[in-house]
Amino acid sequence: MADLAFTIVSIALIIPISLFLGVIYAFLLRKLNARFQWRVGPVVRMYSDLAPVIGSTRVWQPMYDILKLFGKDTLIPASAHKRLFTWSPYFSLFFSFAAVLFIPFPGMPLLSDTPYSLIVASYLLIASILFTILGPVASGSPWGAIGARREVELFLVAELGFVASLFLVAFMKGSLVIAELSGTVGSIPMVLVTLLAGITMFAAMLGKLHIKPFDMPEAECEIVAGPYTEYSGKLLGTYFLAKIFVLYSMVALFIAVFLPPVSSSVLWLPLYVVAALALVFLLAVVQVLNPRYAIRKALAWYMKIVVPLVIIGFIAAFALRMVA
Amino acid sequence: MSTHIKILKQVLQKYSSPMTLNYPSGVDKNRMYSQIPEGLRGFIERDEEKCIGCRACYMVCSGRATKIFDTAEKRTVQVFHFRCTYCAHCEECCPEEAIKMSKKFELAVTDKNDPKAYVNTDLKMLSCKACNRPYLPEKMQKRVFERLSEKIDAKVKGIVVEDYHKTEGFCPDCKRARGVMLDTHTKKHVWLEVV
Amino acid sequence: MGLIDRARIYSPWVYHFHCGGCNGCDIETLAALAPRFDAERFGIQLVASPRHADILITTGCVPKQFIPMIKRVYNQTPDPKVVVAIGGCACGGSLFYDEDPENYAILGSPDLLIPVDVYVPGCAPKPEQIINGIVQGILKLNEKATRGKK
Repeated sequence: MADLAFTIVSIALIIPISLFLGVIYAFLLRKLNARFQWRVGPVVRMYSDLAPVIGSTRVWQPMYDILKLFGKDTLIPASAHKRLFTWSPYFSLFFSFAAVLFIPFPGMPLLSDTPYSLIVASYLLIASILFTILGPVASGSPWGAIGARREVELFLVAELGFVASLFLVAFMKGSLVIAELSGTVGSIPMVLVTLLAGITMFAAMLGKLHIKPFDMPEAECEIVAGPYTEYSGKLLGTYFLAKIFVLYSMVALFIAVFLPPVSSSVLWLPLYVVAALALVFLLAVVQVLNPRYAIRKALAWYMKIVVPLVIIGFIAAFALRMVA
Repeated sequence: MSTHIKILKQVLQKYSSPMTLNYPSGVDKNRMYSQIPEGLRGFIERDEEKCIGCRACYMVCSGRATKIFDTAEKRTVQVFHFRCTYCAHCEECCPEEAIKMSKKFELAVTDKNDPKAYVNTDLKMLSCKACNRPYLPEKMQKRVFERLSEKIDAKVKGIVVEDYHKTEGFCPDCKRARGVMLDTHTKKHVWLEVV
Repeated sequence: MGLIDRARIYSPWVYHFHCGGCNGCDIETLAALAPRFDAERFGIQLVASPRHADILITTGCVPKQFIPMIKRVYNQTPDPKVVVAIGGCACGGSLFYDEDPENYAILGSPDLLIPVDVYVPGCAPKPEQIINGIVQGILKLNEKATRGKK
């Protein structure tokens, strides 16, 4: 009973925590992107003579974007399939928030000790991205169709790396429960194989979060905002909110599975924050150094780089399983 | 990979000192902003004392922003900033150097009829003594006479000034009609010699 | 002021709509969003679709073939919205607009078709002037939104 009560309280607590951390990660991606381009991004401390009119800080800028979108009219194009068009953002938000509940936070294991939680978490993330493909297809606009098609192709190859790296670690440690994977560290060869799987997962994250070489589904101005072209108002705000939860869950899943002891107890909280910020910093560095790839080049890149890494990793994990 | 390292070095060069100007902040009270270059052509300012209403700026304006409105009492020279191209042709061609392009550039108005976007100069207009039609601004007449008397040859100066005062106040048509009567027609010297 | 009203001032999204013209004002507008005069400090972001925008920036004088396009893009932008006309051509037609006789190709300023809220004169206006105009647009946007609620 105490266990159930603790789980319910921690589920209630994770809502503001995941929103807060997700907004900070999204703000950091924008701010670092700007600083690397020799300009000032959304200001952290506003100039004193303008502060009374336009606020004293812009650290919550992604949240202000979403709130502003909720205050605008929602226009639904006449050629759209109404039910799928209006329900897709809400499904996407629901699935991405459900994925947050299966990933542990230091001090709160949430639902991550249920059996097969690794499979559930990865499928919930897949379902969230599925509805960013179905919604734009239902909008009846050619730009949405092109964006959705690119999203499908990118999704297939990025998913390969994502699932392969997760199951590599699961195979090596012999368990499909995230709480056990993030609790045990294992021997030195296991740590090395986990590192290899972590690099593969980083490459897959670039595709799932639309970080610079792989942001061609939402290629702004090339295909007029891509999948989100016909969305406006609260539906677009819901999509952005789902994106924030996906960003938080990917970072948290990375730390839980590939940096093993950090997500297990509340004493590791400072190291968790440092690891998350370092991961976001690396994502920003990759974002600023790369141009946008065409979809064919992205598929070729994934085939050339991620598949050999995964094969080497599986051979090593199999050898370790045989020995141990 | 090596291009990535090169780009990374360049990217981290100015990480903590961005090159952005902090524009809306740090502007002086009379809106003087420190990054203004020397020869900036901003908004038009016309000196009301010097303008004589000669319409040279109206003839030369590229964007047809300068307009002249004549009534019986006054001539209004108006510059509408929305159509101005800030080419400074009017500054160059003004004979009295009354127009200056100032260094102010901040003007964003919400209403087309906002008086901030117009520069109006009013000049008193003279009407003809005989036919009562307005023909010339008062300042232009005075100024033209001053310029003429500076440059005229000393031999004929006396006669020209006397003729000018006889026809002062008439519009060009009435002046032509009264030439013989007032003895100011141009061929009078030829007659005198022949006779 | 409510949270959503504050969010409207803190995060205005801009759609740059080029309606004919020589591209001078377009270059200055993009310079206003470039590193030297960074407008993203105040949350101003360039978006790719008019359906995401709060502020429509129009540049250039309108040729007569553009008339249906302008009306369509204006209708595709959700309320509350503000139109900022940048440059002499968008404010009043400048060189390219005749009153008498009427030009066969150029209509003049977009305010003959859609209601323009802020005019920024200049040829081409400096990026600082453009930022000043956008800030006035943001204030007008807030005024429209709160007036509509009352």
